[in-house]
Amino acid sequence: MRDLPSFTLSRRKALALGAAGLAGTAFGGRRALAEDFKAVGSPALQAAAKKEGALNVITLPRDWANYGLLMDNFEKLYGVKIDDANPDGSSAEELQAIRSLKSQSRAPDVVDVGPAFALTGTTEKLFQPYKVATWKEIPDDVKSADGHWYGDYFGVVSFGANMSVVKTMPRTWADLLKPEYKGMVALNGNPLGAGAAFGAVFAAALANGGSYDNIAPGIEFFGKLNAAGNYNPVKGTTASLTSGQTPILINWDYLNLAIREGAAGKTDITVVLPENAPPFGNYYCQAISAYAPHPNTAKLWMEYLYSDEGQLAFLGGFAHPIRFNSMVAQGKIPADVLKNLPSADAYKNVKFATDAQSAAAKKTLADMWPKVVKLG
Amino acid sequence: MIRRSLGLAVPYLFIVAFLAFATLFMVAPTVMLAAQSLSGDNGITFEYLQALGEYRYIVAFRNSIVLSAASAFVGVVAGGLIAHTVLKPSAPNSLRSAVTSFSAVAANFGGVPLAFGFVATLGSLGLLTQGLKSIGIDIYGMGFTLYSITGLTIVYCYFQIPLMVIIITPALQSLRVEWREACENLGATPAQYWRMVGLPVLLPSLFSSFILLFGSAFSAYATAYALTSGNLALLTTEIGNVLSGDVMSSPQTGAALSVGMIVVMVGVLGLSAFLSKRASRWHK
Amino acid sequence: MKRLGTGGWVILALAAIYFIGPLVLTVIFSMWEGRGHYGFDSYVTLLQRPNIVSSLVISVELSLATCAALVVLLVPAMVFMNLYAPKLRPVFEFIAALPFVVPAIALVAGLSALFTGPEWLIGTPFYLVIPYFFLALPYAYRAIDVGIRALDLATLTEAGLSLGADLGQIIRLVVLPNLRTALVGSTLLTLAVVMGEFTFANVLLFHTFAVLINEVGQNAPTEAAALSTLSFLITWLAMAGVLLAGRRGGVQLSGAR
Repeated sequence: MRDLPSFTLSRRKALALGAAGLAGTAFGGRRALAEDFKAVGSPALQAAAKKEGALNVITLPRDWANYGLLMDNFEKLYGVKIDDANPDGSSAEELQAIRSLKSQSRAPDVVDVGPAFALTGTTEKLFQPYKVATWKEIPDDVKSADGHWYGDYFGVVSFGANMSVVKTMPRTWADLLKPEYKGMVALNGNPLGAGAAFGAVFAAALANGGSYDNIAPGIEFFGKLNAAGNYNPVKGTTASLTSGQTPILINWDYLNLAIREGAAGKTDITVVLPENAPPFGNYYCQAISAYAPHPNTAKLWMEYLYSDEGQLAFLGGFAHPIRFNSMVAQGKIPADVLKNLPSADAYKNVKFATDAQSAAAKKTLADMWPKVVKLG
Repeated sequence: MIRRSLGLAVPYLFIVAFLAFATLFMVAPTVMLAAQSLSGDNGITFEYLQALGEYRYIVAFRNSIVLSAASAFVGVVAGGLIAHTVLKPSAPNSLRSAVTSFSAVAANFGGVPLAFGFVATLGSLGLLTQGLKSIGIDIYGMGFTLYSITGLTIVYCYFQIPLMVIIITPALQSLRVEWREACENLGATPAQYWRMVGLPVLLPSLFSSFILLFGSAFSAYATAYALTSGNLALLTTEIGNVLSGDVMSSPQTGAALSVGMIVVMVGVLGLSAFLSKRASRWHK
Repeated sequence: MKRLGTGGWVILALAAIYFIGPLVLTVIFSMWEGRGHYGFDSYVTLLQRPNIVSSLVISVELSLATCAALVVLLVPAMVFMNLYAPKLRPVFEFIAALPFVVPAIALVAGLSALFTGPEWLIGTPFYLVIPYFFLALPYAYRAIDVGIRALDLATLTEAGLSLGADLGQIIRLVVLPNLRTALVGSTLLTLAVVMGEFTFANVLLFHTFAVLINEVGQNAPTEAAALSTLSFLITWLAMAGVLLAGRRGGVQLSGAR
């Protein structure tokens, strides 16, 4: 298995990048967090989980929000084997896996899906309810009242740039329109199909006079970007950013930062939050499958993710844990960590679009985008 | 008499077995799909099929058909030429094997790796693009872009041409050299040989190959998505967005689009059968 | 006939440039170790991945099983359809075109809804042979169709029957040998389709080779390029092997005689 990447490169560079840069690695790195994990859950739950001995997870890439470390650690702490299937799948595929595999021993126990799919899954009775010990600290607007699904972490839209190709880092949305970035700016997919791309359009809207109820300015911005020849329609991936094929990638902060860390030693990647613009964030949701072959291990996994250490581990993976604001208020985030993040206020002010606003935005997007962003 | 009818039972058994297998595992899910395209929250509805008339879906239909037809056509012609070249008796055996085995692999080399290779070559910052720019030819400046129907056609040919090579080989091999010699003895030029003997014999196979190449391009998804993120409306990427995306989910729209694709494919089959029949009226 | 003329070599040269170009660039990227260094690091790391052998084995087994299924179910049906039930051709053509227009995820959803058991079939990767049969079907069907059209099936069969052979002998001794090239082509295509198939295996959470390639591609770009290169080479060698084996059995992948 690959080693965890080294951190020495990033620290100095990260501080040098200034307040707008994100310096996730400054707080001692992921290794330190691992030793600090205390066992969670009642002894009865732990025993039941150990008896089941396994956990099936799905669509959890190892370098997404530190899931690699979280999974390895869970296996060690509780003597349980984790099977990690289809790491790059979509939320739709997760729900389909539950439907297709029902109670087979390979079926997924837990899922990590986008909010729209959390709702679909609940309606289709694909989940079983469960409330973790720290339930009250999860904000109300990102969980279902009866415990079927609950937000786990969130991220905000960021710019990631490959510094071997890009001479000056773009810092604002307006910067992206400059002619020096011709053919460089990419999304990680189509806004109608990829969560981060959708978020990017929404973020552009917020920065250009739109609001959570009005995504049109964001679509127009991308129309301008395309007309200027700066928009690169290639689907942005780790490979395309690292190789320089898509030198500027608009993506969730935790993904861009993970790519940066993965590319350390090969090429320099800078990640910033767009300046002079309200941050646009989105969250993902956890749920336990109603047909989970290992229900107790699944519950233990949830307790683990929502414990202080689990949430800090998400932060170690550059994703803001869902309990972030309450943990800051309780002083549970180490001071040196807080110092190296952009002001916690910025993240405190992250608002999420409500379901209704998202749905309306998608409809506008579906109508306007093909007309405004056209390829040759 | 009895032997005859017993003799026929076995063939029909095989035919029925195949059809039953296909019905169970392919046709049944397709029917479910068609049913889904008609199912709204309150019973049968035509709204999803009607939605196919929306601007972006019309564009998707047009783009998909044009792209598939163009890449199929280029594939048939170029693949046919390459196959013909290596199948000539004067071509070395090793060349034939190398080309055939390479074709088998390339025929399925698609998706992200193919897109990556072409962006690295012909993308806006690609090696060939930069190379041409350095000698004064700015292809992007002249209006070319990899992210267009033309560009996609070029990329699709990477698997269309090899596919054609593999498929047409048995047909080319069936062209007896005696026919060619006979023509030459009668004073025909190579062009006349092809026009009056070669192509007519090959025509049914050419149609068959065209259908395959059309279908292969029509159903391609990963390559197009990797190159354009679905910004070039194509039926497959539109379906992907609503069926397996991360943002929205509308199985009925996906089902309706699939029904649309089935209609197009049936149309192509029908047109091809019609043209093939006309062309073969004076053959044999 | 003349030697392969200059025209022929020009065609081949152009083709070579077009086909090898993107591959060369992929190989170069796979050897990139950052900041201008090149080497085989990615290949070494790649070959140390735990799943690489097991996933390759599963994919190869699935390929062979799918080929077998096609030979048993499709080829006889096609031969007999051409001989005795040519009116069924449109039905066959329609079925052979369906897999192109039914999206993979819809087919999975349909199959999962219709068939919930038995567990011994659905739980193993060999369940995939069923959808793979249909994914390879368009290619196999066309390959064999072209081969059959190149024969005069009716005359051959009648000749055999009038000489006293029964149907089985005719199929075995007359039809199949003449279909050898087409069968080889259809085998090659089926192998390639199954080795490269990703969506079904992925949604049903089976660990096949194509699934591994995709996983690697997501977080280890140079390893992914290395894997693409390796799988291309391995598949090419395998195909060449199939061709040679076919030749040894008396098949000529010969030129137009």
